[in-house]
Amino acid sequence: MRKQESLTEHLDWPLFGALITMLLMGFATVYSVAYNEEAPSIFNFSEKYGRQLFWIVFSLFLGLLVFLIDSDIYRKFAIPIYLSTLVLLVIVLFMPAVHGAHAWLGVGSFGVQPAEFAKISTSLLLAKYISGLTVKQQTTGTVLTASSILLIPMILILLQPDAGTFVVFTSFLFVMYREGLTFDPILLNFVNAIPGVRYKETWVGSHFIPILFAVVFLSIITLLLDSVVFNLSLFGLDLALSGSSGVIFGLLLIYALSWLLLQRFSTRRERSRMMVVLTLGLLIGSALSFVVDKGFDMLRPHQKDRIELFLGLREDPNGDDYNRNRAMAAVGSGGFFGKGYREASVSSVRSNHVPESETDFIFCPFAEEWGFVGVVVLFLLYFFVLFRIIIIAERQRAAFNRIYAYCVAMILFYHFAINIGMNIGFAPVIGIPLPFFSYGGSSMMSFSVMLFILLKLDAQRKDVLR
Amino acid sequence: MNLDARRNVILSFIVLVVGIYLIRLFYMQVIDDTWTLRAQEIAEKRKEIFPPRGVIFDRNGKKIVTNQTYYNLMMVEDSMVNLDTAAFAKLIGWTKKQVRQRFKEIVEGEGTYYNKITGKRTPNYQKIRAYPFLKELTLEEMSKIAPHLDNFKGFHEEATSARNYPYKSAANILGYLSEVYREEIEEDRFYKPGNNIGRAGIERFYEKELRGVKGIKYIVTSALNNAIESYADGKYDTTARQADPLKMGMDVELQTYGEKLMNKKKGCIVAIEPSSGEILSMVSAPSYDPNLLVGKRNISANYPKLANDPNLPLFPRPLQAEYPPGSIFKLVQSLIAMQEGVITANTGFPCDKSLVGCHNHPSARNIAEAIQYSCNPYYYMAVRRIIQQGVKKNNFADAEYGLNKWYKYIRSFGLGDIFDTDVSGQRPGLIPNPAFYDKWYGHHAWAFSTIRSISIGQGEVKLTPLQMANIVAIIANKGWYYTPHFVRSIGRKGSLPQFKKKRWTMINYQHFDPVIEGMRRVVNEAGGTGKMARLNDILVCGKTGTVQNPHGEDHSVFFAFAPMKKPKIAVAVFVENAGWGGTWAAPIASLIIEKYLKGKISDPDKEKRILEAQIAYQLSN
Repeated sequence: MRKQESLTEHLDWPLFGALITMLLMGFATVYSVAYNEEAPSIFNFSEKYGRQLFWIVFSLFLGLLVFLIDSDIYRKFAIPIYLSTLVLLVIVLFMPAVHGAHAWLGVGSFGVQPAEFAKISTSLLLAKYISGLTVKQQTTGTVLTASSILLIPMILILLQPDAGTFVVFTSFLFVMYREGLTFDPILLNFVNAIPGVRYKETWVGSHFIPILFAVVFLSIITLLLDSVVFNLSLFGLDLALSGSSGVIFGLLLIYALSWLLLQRFSTRRERSRMMVVLTLGLLIGSALSFVVDKGFDMLRPHQKDRIELFLGLREDPNGDDYNRNRAMAAVGSGGFFGKGYREASVSSVRSNHVPESETDFIFCPFAEEWGFVGVVVLFLLYFFVLFRIIIIAERQRAAFNRIYAYCVAMILFYHFAINIGMNIGFAPVIGIPLPFFSYGGSSMMSFSVMLFILLKLDAQRKDVLR
Repeated sequence: MNLDARRNVILSFIVLVVGIYLIRLFYMQVIDDTWTLRAQEIAEKRKEIFPPRGVIFDRNGKKIVTNQTYYNLMMVEDSMVNLDTAAFAKLIGWTKKQVRQRFKEIVEGEGTYYNKITGKRTPNYQKIRAYPFLKELTLEEMSKIAPHLDNFKGFHEEATSARNYPYKSAANILGYLSEVYREEIEEDRFYKPGNNIGRAGIERFYEKELRGVKGIKYIVTSALNNAIESYADGKYDTTARQADPLKMGMDVELQTYGEKLMNKKKGCIVAIEPSSGEILSMVSAPSYDPNLLVGKRNISANYPKLANDPNLPLFPRPLQAEYPPGSIFKLVQSLIAMQEGVITANTGFPCDKSLVGCHNHPSARNIAEAIQYSCNPYYYMAVRRIIQQGVKKNNFADAEYGLNKWYKYIRSFGLGDIFDTDVSGQRPGLIPNPAFYDKWYGHHAWAFSTIRSISIGQGEVKLTPLQMANIVAIIANKGWYYTPHFVRSIGRKGSLPQFKKKRWTMINYQHFDPVIEGMRRVVNEAGGTGKMARLNDILVCGKTGTVQNPHGEDHSVFFAFAPMKKPKIAVAVFVENAGWGGTWAAPIASLIIEKYLKGKISDPDKEKRILEAQIAYQLSN
């Protein structure tokens, strides 16, 4: 196989074009939101747009560097890259806190957040690890190893604390799902320990994404029920059900109902199988609900507040829900065609009604200025990028490339979904940036590098069969 | 296990999220306007600019109501930084306690509202909003405070305008302004808390005409409530426009002069231009300087004093003092009797004091003499002919028939009800009709003998001075009138339509001549009761009256119009507790007439006598 002859050979132009478009749109939005009449030049580095321009140019430069390096390095050096990121994540914990989080490495406004780069290194290591496995090889050890690759940086990030990035790391679960990596081996250990039961696979283990949804659903129900008390009088017992006890009671009811149905409608063999599943479901569900309930009580007050506000348990437009309320007002007031460029009255930095409107809430000024039309364009662009990455992923010959591509897609998707979700009241306000739009060097660099590594891997995909 | 299918699971998950988000955004941005309103609430402030109120001119183009710039000391709690209360109190000349009290007053004054979300009562007061801490400071007062305001963050000055009355007169006509009530704000969104609204008189009646068009400026504000820029480059802004001036029919010099004449007396003067119905002057004595009721501070200082004054300066005597009209009613009775044909101009009656008391005078041989002598028995007999016309066999039914007729005539003089006009606070007086007496005595249980005292304007009949002045105007016009009113034109629009309608009485033109002749004699012939109203080169027609007052000395009354040919002014003068009409009311009427027609007074002694008189007036302290 011959090596690449030019840098741009085999470059995926549609994705690259979409990236450049997003960078331009993002910069335009930052310029609009942070506009200062006295220093309108985009090259004024004392202004946020000046610095953002610097970060964009610097990120493209990093992209160029990525393209100059053979893509093989990522697979080969995945472990050292990962480990050095972990070191940075540990070091950052000893740095002075900015806004209550030990997230910044470096000085002043030119600091970096190692957590941003942890996404890349985790993606690389995960890709390297999973690509070395086959489905049949899965054991308890492989599952635990794969999980540990995620969990170690997640725990370190949670210590900062940075709930947003922590949540983003769960996007890797989608990748594991796609690659057929399951929790089956662990589950089978337990299930098969029961005398007379012998399974090669369980449905639960292989579909943990749908189950994850069930988990999230149960958790939310638990929290919602936390503020409601049902008083129940049953067989002389007075029960006050609230939170997890309510959920567990509900699960018991479902369990009992299912048991009755099974007694009547199923064969003996099916029945015993189903009963195992049901019993497990009941126990796990109850345990989860209990843990969520108790865990919620142990959360820090501001996190508790956010969760409560997100769930609509509390509403206070001028208090704790300030950000979300203001952000939604900004987005909602955009109308169909928007207020026009640089006409954002709610979310401009100058008016400061929406704090962080140039970073985590950059979607606000965008939606306010461009309205629903702009939103559709932004969504199409994002959808196109995600779709294109999945196409790229599926055309890779090397599993490493494919898994990495899925990691990139899912990370971007998570950022998109959560960031915009918190602007429209669908997600809790956890500070994560909108890739390529939000002001900030770390996220700009990490997302660019992440995408350029993908583009490089794709450009060299035909080399891999050596 | 086919893992490739899982790609579709992931893809459909992405499609699902993007789809749901788009639907949500479409709802938020395009369909639901809650968030748009919320955004306006957050970031767009409508700044309303109130224009100065319209100015008011008198009939000769003299500015009688103007505006003066005052200053409010505004406070914004959120902008305050370590307020040195003691120093601030010292600056404005208050005590610390007063300052704190005022803070509390502002917060409490805003009231509370029910917050649906929290389910609690929440104060309307907002820390980021500006509230007037001190209102209506003069330039002088403000210039002492303003230079030091830099030391007290959160306080700023704001210019505002307040009324000014250069002639210091006509308070009872012009009315005053005071702060709007919460209910008024809710009723009419024009107003904002702290705005002024016309509370009485012209200011109230022409509130909408005087307040002008407020300007609206949309500004984008920051989270700290600082104005950032005008919204959409001022595309939606409107400019404030001062209302067009009002031009009144009043002669401010005459009004001021009238108030001067009535100094230290109680009573009133009403002067009307007969040809237009414009009120030239309406004095309610004692009067007060309208500038006393300008601004919150003045009102709270002066209003209680005025309200507690034993001379009742706030009582609008020309509109609300309902007197039995007395002798002036004889003019009206003469006209009705002639119109009904029960007497002619030359009908004579003997002065039969057995019917009703009278003073000593020769018997009246005709109407002119009856008026000249103000003969009570004459009118007893004349009015009996109106009431008891002998149409019905039953005496009671006949009286009912007659009184009904009489009532219709009287009503055509605009009596018995308030005028549909811009004079606020009128009372209707009382003109009895058959239903009225039926209620008192029962149906068919009364006849002329029961109600005879109305024939000489006593008994149940009650009129206000304004109504009586209008009777004089009708006589001067020989049978018609325009509704008495104050305002001649609003900007260039002219007066209200109801002021342009000529109203005819049911009396024919020719019947007025003997009445006017009688009035001429009252003033100008020897033995006339109103000789004190005589003027050298103006032919004044008048009629004295004495209103019986059960509570003390009778009220002195005089009615007149002048000149006899082409009358220009009709005037009614009431002086409370001044006894006989000819003594005090007649000379005052003549002075008013002379002042209006000539602009100067030919008899300074007469004027001096009036100016110096103090009648039934309680000096305060």
